[in-house]
Formats: sequence, structure tokens, C-alpha cells
Amino acid sequence: MAEGNKQATKVKTLNVKVASPYQVYFDQPALSISGNNLTGPFDILPGHHNFISLLDRGELVIRTINDEQKIKINGGVMHVKADMATVFLDI
Amino acid sequence: MKRLIDIASEQSAMQSVLGLTNVFEGLASMRIAQVKDQVLSSERFFNELWAIYSQIRINKRFSYGRESDDKVIDKDLFIAITAEGGFSGDIDQKLITWMLQSYDPTKQDLIIIGHHGAIQLTQAGVGFKRYFKLPMHDNNINVLPLVGQVKQYRSTIVYYQSYVTLMVQDIKKIELHGAIEAASKKVDKNDHIITEENYIFEPSTEIVANHLESTMLQITLTQAILDSKLAQYASRFRSMRSASEKADEMSGDLKLEYNRTKRFLSDERLKEVINGLRKAEQVA
Repeated sequence: MAEGNKQATKVKTLNVKVASPYQVYFDQPALSISGNNLTGPFDILPGHHNFISLLDRGELVIRTINDEQKIKINGGVMHVKADMATVFLDI
Repeated sequence: MKRLIDIASEQSAMQSVLGLTNVFEGLASMRIAQVKDQVLSSERFFNELWAIYSQIRINKRFSYGRESDDKVIDKDLFIAITAEGGFSGDIDQKLITWMLQSYDPTKQDLIIIGHHGAIQLTQAGVGFKRYFKLPMHDNNINVLPLVGQVKQYRSTIVYYQSYVTLMVQDIKKIELHGAIEAASKKVDKNDHIITEENYIFEPSTEIVANHLESTMLQITLTQAILDSKLAQYASRFRSMRSASEKADEMSGDLKLEYNRTKRFLSDERLKEVINGLRKAEQVA
């Protein structure tokens, strides 16, 4: 059990925040976040290079240690820097 | 002297006015609380986005998010944000008067938001290019049609109302081009500059920059609309409070007048009875 916890703490995560002007949909550490832009589908993992992208309409998939969350979006902007991914929706 | 029944009827009407103004005052107060929450929530979101936008330094001039082949009208655009209905005190009148002081139809076009302002411009004999209804809802305000207009002009000045406190509202103006361009150059010492060397832009630097410029326009307009709505609710609250106080005072005066008249009539009747009794005694 203690060994399991140690392994869990070793898993690299990035902080993900998904928000619109009036609501925060997700704000916690995650293993990855995936979305779509004009160039196609992409994944953001911990350690990703600094990144700004316009998002296409579709689904954002956020994988955490325990589960996977899907958020339908109409578009937005994603900013990634130093293991912090922020998604601005409805803009 | 007024008849007792007339005073009673006036008093009843004044009580209705008092009740109505109290209801409007309560509604305005409720809306203020709601819009304040919206403003605070959206401000956090927009500030984060502003912070990112202001760090971007790429080889591109600010262009309102226009495409390079878009034609620009060689005029300035004035946008005035006013209330949709009445009951908002004199703040709309002040805003329109202030805007018209700098308005020259050969150099500027006017867009009016809110029915109250449109009526005032019409009454002043001033034509406007477009009229938009002030959004009913306080969130998810769609300013895209307005941004479409703004992009057509060389520059835009927005005249709006600003909430200072519940009892104090101000009128302000903002030059969109200047405000956004200035904000895009304002960087704290601790901020990192975002360039094409240290960031990946997708789908392309140009498309991202254009989208963000357009977004910043939307944000600035949305915030001006929200601030105006908050100021209008506060102005309505203030005018309803003052109307309610006046109605209360008048109702008190009418009550006094009613009681005085009632006593006067009662005294008169008593005098008549006494006089009648005296005459009867004299005859006997």
C-alpha cells in the first residue's frame, strides 16, 4: 500500500484549468489533456513545450489518475506553460 | 378645502406609488448583487487572458483582428451604451449630452445600444447608423455583431456608464484601439515575453494573434456593457429610493391633511349642534 502511494506520487502531472467567463469546469492536476485544432488532434503531457493554440469545436479529454473527463466545447484558446494548461472557453 | 373622500383617494394612490417604488428598488438591488457577481467572476477570467495577451511580442501591428484585405471606413465610430427602458434616472441623458459635445456627423458615425438612448438621440434630432438592444442577460453577452462594426472603422470610442458605489455612478469613455494596444505593451517585470522563439503557435502565429485581438475587443466591449448595466441598476435603485422617500413624505402629508380635515369637519358639526341647542334654548 505504502509502495503504491510512493508510485502514485512519482507520476508526473500538469495542472489543468478549463474555464469560461462565468464558470470553472475543471481545475486540478491531470495526466494529460487532449483536444483538436486546425492542424488536427493533439495531446498535452507534463513537460510540454510552451504552447498557444486556438481550439476547434469538439471534445476536450482530460485524464486524471483516477478517471477521464470529457468536456464538449464550441472553441476556445489553450495556453500551456511550465506544466500549467489553461483553456479559455467561449471566446 | 378638499373633500375627505378625495384626500383618502389621493392617499391610497400614494400608497400604491410607495409600494411600486419599493418593489422596483428591491428588484434593482437584487440585480445589482447578481451583476456584481458576474463582473467579479468574468474579471478573473479576463485578467488571466489579458496577462497572456500582454506578454505576446510578435512581428505584427495591432489591426483590430482585421484581415489584410478588409476595407476601413475613414471615420471614427462612437458607441454609446444606455439603458433599455426608463426608470434609470438621468444617467443616460448625461451620457448622450457628453457624447454629442464631441460628435461631428462628417467625422463620426454613431451606434447606440439601448432603447432609452435611441429615443433621446431621436428627440435631439441626431441620426444613428445602427441600434442594438441592450442584452437582457448578464452573462454570455454576444458582442460579435458589434465587433463586426468596430472592425470596419479606423478607431472606436465607447461611451459607457460606470458603477462607483450604490449611490454614485459615473460616465466614462474608452478608445478601444488605444486601450487594447496600450494593454498589449504593458508587461510586469516578472512576466515572460511570448515570442515565436519560445512558444509554439497553432494553427499559426498570425491566426492566433488575430483571434486574440478580436477576443480582446470582445472582452473590452463586454466589460463596458456589464459595467453600464451595473451602473444603470444602481441609478435605478437611487431614483427609486428617492421616489419612494418622496412618496412616503407625501403620504405622511396627506395623512396629516386627512386628519386635520376630519377634525375640522367634526368641530364644524359640533359647533352646529351647539348653536342649534342654544337657539332651541332661546326659543323655549
